[in-house]
Amino acid sequence: MELNLLHFYPDLMSLYGSYANLSVLARTLETMGNTVTITYVEPGDEADILGADFLFMGAGTEKRQKFALADFVRHGDEVKKAAQDGTPMLFCGTAMELLGKTILDESEKEYSGIGLGDFTAKQQVRRIVEDVYGHTKLFDAPMVGFINKSSILTGVETPLLTSMNLGFGNEAEGGAEGFLYQNVIGSHLTGPILAKNPRLLETVIAAIYAKRGAQCPEIPKDQWAEQGYAVTARELKARCK
Amino acid sequence: MRVFLAILACKLLRFVGKLVGKGSSLPGKYALKICPDILKRVELPAHIIAVTGSNGKTSTVEMIAAILRAEGKRVVYNEEGSNQIEGVTTLVLNNATFGGKVKADVLLIESDERYAARSFKFFHPTHFVITNLYRDQMTRNGHPESVYDAILPAIHPETELLLNADDPLTSCFAKGQEKVKWFGLDKCSISVSEPTGVYHDGAHCPVCGAAMDYAYVHYNHIGAYLCPKCGHGKHQTDYTATAVDLENGTLTLDGAYTISLAFRSIYNVYNILAAYAVCRECGIDGSIAQQVISNYVLKNGRMQTFRLGGHHGTLLTSKHENSIAYDTNLRYIASTKTECTVLLIVDAVSRKYFTSETSWLWDIDFEQLNADHVKRIVLSGQYCADLAQRFSFTQIPQEKWEVIPEIPAAAESIKAAGNEEVYVVTCFSDRDKLLALTEKEG
Repeated sequence: MELNLLHFYPDLMSLYGSYANLSVLARTLETMGNTVTITYVEPGDEADILGADFLFMGAGTEKRQKFALADFVRHGDEVKKAAQDGTPMLFCGTAMELLGKTILDESEKEYSGIGLGDFTAKQQVRRIVEDVYGHTKLFDAPMVGFINKSSILTGVETPLLTSMNLGFGNEAEGGAEGFLYQNVIGSHLTGPILAKNPRLLETVIAAIYAKRGAQCPEIPKDQWAEQGYAVTARELKARCK
Repeated sequence: MRVFLAILACKLLRFVGKLVGKGSSLPGKYALKICPDILKRVELPAHIIAVTGSNGKTSTVEMIAAILRAEGKRVVYNEEGSNQIEGVTTLVLNNATFGGKVKADVLLIESDERYAARSFKFFHPTHFVITNLYRDQMTRNGHPESVYDAILPAIHPETELLLNADDPLTSCFAKGQEKVKWFGLDKCSISVSEPTGVYHDGAHCPVCGAAMDYAYVHYNHIGAYLCPKCGHGKHQTDYTATAVDLENGTLTLDGAYTISLAFRSIYNVYNILAAYAVCRECGIDGSIAQQVISNYVLKNGRMQTFRLGGHHGTLLTSKHENSIAYDTNLRYIASTKTECTVLLIVDAVSRKYFTSETSWLWDIDFEQLNADHVKRIVLSGQYCADLAQRFSFTQIPQEKWEVIPEIPAAAESIKAAGNEEVYVVTCFSDRDKLLALTEKEG
């Protein structure tokens, strides 16, 4: 297949090695025989959202998130339509907050998100930084990662992680984390969440094939990703209470 | 009375602490309990110099002290690197009379960037050097802009700032501040036209978010930038590195003072420039700085040499979670041009706390090791699979790199054959695991 992946604001929203999500996704899809094109979308650019196979935005600082939001709202209706149609998407860190209803910054100033989800992000001065070991309904394997955020999210009804043994979720220690709607994934797990969690990468690839109405062949496993995941899962599990 | 007691407690605890080898922050902690505003009640020297920023604090402070002492100034500074308020308190009280007068001409403080506001609640520096703000220990610091927000309240209106003009984010501290002096590096032999590195934190203006233009870049996003929308740009410099030749190891300051570099790294250039700038502001003659800094070998150097079998080795200590510092070490290896083996170790991510966070590996420009003279790369330590996954996304030929998880086995494999140079890049927490397996040079 010829697959088109959209990468929103690659420099503006680039914290914590976020770009690696697209690197592992594109390479795996290519290994499976597809031709993959990554299109970068900068502020002011037009984007073929409804024609895309995958939408991605990485994490940015709270200030840069507002710069991104100012442009991203132009695409809001099309992103929502694509999401309803089952287009797979990944929004990392502060990018996830753009999908919600509102963002309140630390001075209580309110910004409107695109409203795909009915949630609010309240940003605070104190940062929440912790390793994460949690569970999703998407697959059996635990999810691993790290959270580095300043926001409390309220109103998420369909989270990515339903519980956590380690880490602060949307609004509580050990509580639900992230956002899941159709094939849209949002999470405050920092950086290359797909590189660090091979099962989540497989979920995204299966969704890309499903959206195309194509049969998903066996997904090749990356030995280093599998080993890296195993070490991190082992180390984090040992830290769980 | 409380001042006296706090000073007494601090001095006693420091004395006992030194005997039993304890750290230098505990005495200050107790003194602060006895008298919370002790730092306001003591009589401080006329010059108080503070240095903060992501990289280069320790080296810059050490060189400032060396220059000032050469001029005969009495300098007290936190040589042990306890750079939060407790450590600063220990430093101040330990060098004070029981009457509360600090016995020095200059109080020199390396200040932790996140806790500077706490340290300077009761007094403020006369000169405040801010070296740079990079992605650094993101698991602790969040991101560079959150560090910026943390430093901002530490800046007193009467303090004179010495800012790195080449760093777009650090330059923002000048806004609304009356007394600012700038240091920076002119376009020179090392300058390139485009930003380098895996990510580009200078692509967008930190003030307004618009796409930013660069006339030249010294490394990563450090150089001459200008925002076409709001005008935020590199400020004219008061203290300038006018020529740099890393190949021959020379640096010229303000067109007048040429210095021989003991360590030929761009980092060393910026640290020297910052030290020179603040010393000049304190009235020191440029030629004194030149004499002291020429061929100056840092006491706390992060470069150590060793022997491993037939190999001469160099260990480049790097904070793991600091991609720009790591990039600088890789650039140094790339610049050597002599045949070498490189050993990269990620065993513990941090020396201070547990974490399994390895996203920072994706921010490092390992592509720099894709050079003919780099013959072999060995990846080792507990997180070697994460390293290998990252390497599998570089253009470095797969036959050049290999994974040997156990550090002793990795060292043994290198020791077994050959006599090429060996470079080891790792962090403070892991370096002794390697050094224990090597022989001292000489």
